[in-house]
Amino acid sequence: MERVILLIDMDAFFASVEQQCNPALRGKPIAVIGGGKRTVVTTASYEARKWGVKTGMNLHEAGQRCPELIVVTGNNDKYTHTCTELKKIYLKYTPLVEIYSIDEAFLDVTASQHLFGGPLKIGERIKREIRSRFGINATVGIGPNKLIAKLAADLSKPDGLRWIKPGEVSEVLEGLPPDELWGIGKRMAAHLKAMGIKTCGELSRMHPGVLRSRFGIVGERLRMMAMGIDETPVVSDPEAEDIRSIGHSMTLPEDIFRISEIDRYLLILSDMVTFRARRYGYAGKTVSVVIRYRSFHTFSVHQKLSLPTSDTHLVYCTTKDMVRSVRLREPVRLLGVSLGCLVRNMPQQSLFSKQNRRRRFLETVDDIRCRYGKGILFWAASLQTETQGGVISPAWRPEGVHRSL
Amino acid sequence: MHIRVNKEELQSRLSNIQSIVDKKSTMPILGHFLLTVDQSSFITATDLETAIKEPLQIEEIKEGGQLCIPAKKFYEIVREMDGEIELEAEGTDWLKIRTGKSLFRIACMNPDDFPKWPQITDTKTISFSASKLQNMIEKTLYAAGESDTRYTLNSLLFHIKPDEKSFAIVGTDGHRLSLIKEPLNVEGLEETKVIVPRKSASELRRFLLKATRSRETEEEAVEAEATDTTILMHITKNHVVFKTDEIEFLVRLIEGNYPSYEQVIPVANEKKVLVQREDFIKALRRVSIISKDRSNAIKLDLETDRITLTASNPDLGDARDEIDVQYSGEAISLGFNARYLVDALNAMSADTVVFELQEPLSPTLLKEVGIENYICVVMPMRI
Repeated sequence: MERVILLIDMDAFFASVEQQCNPALRGKPIAVIGGGKRTVVTTASYEARKWGVKTGMNLHEAGQRCPELIVVTGNNDKYTHTCTELKKIYLKYTPLVEIYSIDEAFLDVTASQHLFGGPLKIGERIKREIRSRFGINATVGIGPNKLIAKLAADLSKPDGLRWIKPGEVSEVLEGLPPDELWGIGKRMAAHLKAMGIKTCGELSRMHPGVLRSRFGIVGERLRMMAMGIDETPVVSDPEAEDIRSIGHSMTLPEDIFRISEIDRYLLILSDMVTFRARRYGYAGKTVSVVIRYRSFHTFSVHQKLSLPTSDTHLVYCTTKDMVRSVRLREPVRLLGVSLGCLVRNMPQQSLFSKQNRRRRFLETVDDIRCRYGKGILFWAASLQTETQGGVISPAWRPEGVHRSL
Repeated sequence: MHIRVNKEELQSRLSNIQSIVDKKSTMPILGHFLLTVDQSSFITATDLETAIKEPLQIEEIKEGGQLCIPAKKFYEIVREMDGEIELEAEGTDWLKIRTGKSLFRIACMNPDDFPKWPQITDTKTISFSASKLQNMIEKTLYAAGESDTRYTLNSLLFHIKPDEKSFAIVGTDGHRLSLIKEPLNVEGLEETKVIVPRKSASELRRFLLKATRSRETEEEAVEAEATDTTILMHITKNHVVFKTDEIEFLVRLIEGNYPSYEQVIPVANEKKVLVQREDFIKALRRVSIISKDRSNAIKLDLETDRITLTASNPDLGDARDEIDVQYSGEAISLGFNARYLVDALNAMSADTVVFELQEPLSPTLLKEVGIENYICVVMPMRI
């Protein structure tokens, strides 16, 4: 049976929420930014986009493009609350809801569409309900799989509703540049262009062997994508997913070079990562550190541990050693810590009571944080650090851990 | 330097050092060995943690000297040669190797750059059976940590207690522990703890195995009990030298505090189970197939005269097995990393073992029936 997948994509989500909360901002060009000392535009309202303000632009440049721009500091709680409320709306139409990111959700309505008069009716009703409850616009893309649903939404933004039926897929894809497809980036598109492939139609007609020899297994997948084929299911339960890693990264308030300052951020990140790992019952065997220099040159180092862990101190010490093994050549702009090769945490008891005590200590800290909020307890060593004011990551999910792509 | 050596002699000496010579080290000189030809001639090799010095019997010395020779290539060359081998140095940079009509010329390094053998002073000396020491290492090494940040765990502890007249070796990775004790009578020695790095311990085991076999022919050695070669241990603050048959094996010790292992050995576990070792291993291996990618977690349900083993994995399914045991206490359920139990059981040899338990989360103890000097402690998992 042909699947029917909906993608609900909020239009300028953070900006729309802010405009909704503060009527004075409605109809005006606004940019939502993080809370740190220096920051970039996280989301621009459609009014601001007309002036050329884009996500990722620094404030100076945005201000030059749009002198009337109103800058609003983001408030994560508003967005996560809205996202959680939105999920309740989606669940009225199907239990198969995958909150893909804070402003995107996939719905598999294959089995429930007939109850509501077809996918377009569902799309309309969801759009109407979001508009009436939150006053914000959403775009709904409908297709036989996630890839096409996403494409349908991208092609009809903002405030759009489009259904690409299975019979229309090849027609839509024929003249489409490959990087319009979800999952094909600019660099891949450049590689393809160098091979003389400028559209999805051309890509789909390539001999699989040629693509495989050029790109490996990815080549095969590229061709499938260009044909509009995508088998990935809508996964409603993040626990059941194939989870690969748990990670956090942050752009620092200012570029730093001193190892003691880097350590402080490593501690904060290790704490965030291991807290989340423990919350969801995972332990990881590899620790990775991502470093981005002032020049935006980015690289990562990895370290395998002898046993999976979710211990804050151990992960922190490992990242410290890893950073010391690198000769830093420039001030650091962004740091990230992640825990990979995850396994379900099977609490192996330790022989030496110190270890058991430390685990009980961390469990207690976690419980307190869960009850009274994450900020209630933190490590003294991170005290001097400016607290993270960054806007929530677009990959945020209401529950569970990330599935890396 | 200009000498003639017997091929067999040279080859067997070189094979002894191959595992110590570090081919992947960032210091090229550690891929070399030092050949010293003098009144007495010997070969020295090191990886900076362990070092070995063995005598080399030379047929004819035309000229003495020292040379630092690439260990692996030289060994490969010697293996392919026949009869007597002539070695001749050209300065300290080149070595000519000649037999019959074949001639090799290989580049060498400056012998002055080779790490110096440390001065061994202020030693305490103990003599001990080489085969016993080898057996002790064999039975404890599996439990030692491999890349733990608590670096003292990546090692074996040699613990000499003159008041108890005992010599113990301990290995632990923080989750399981293995301890073997042998009687040792020494006079005038205080309590001594030395921490031997894991890699050195594993090299030492190999060295001891060779030492105990060298006096017999290879075939006999495999079957017969190893003869009691005596090994001398010279202990200093930073090093231990093991010495037998003129061969010296030097280990650089790890500085630091070994965890107080004696406190974690349960002495009063009340629930005692008698298990057939082979049956237990087989059942553990079978059931843990299901949970291999989930920390090998298995659950043991102990009831009267029976252990039920179960494992489950939501991605795969589950497994269940049962073994007959001798047990008459109350029922108890525990979780384990199956590998820890299998490792411990594999290191034992008796047909029947005693498995001593107390609470679901307290340390468990494994030992062989009738053997009191060897125990393994395994911590359970929370299930």
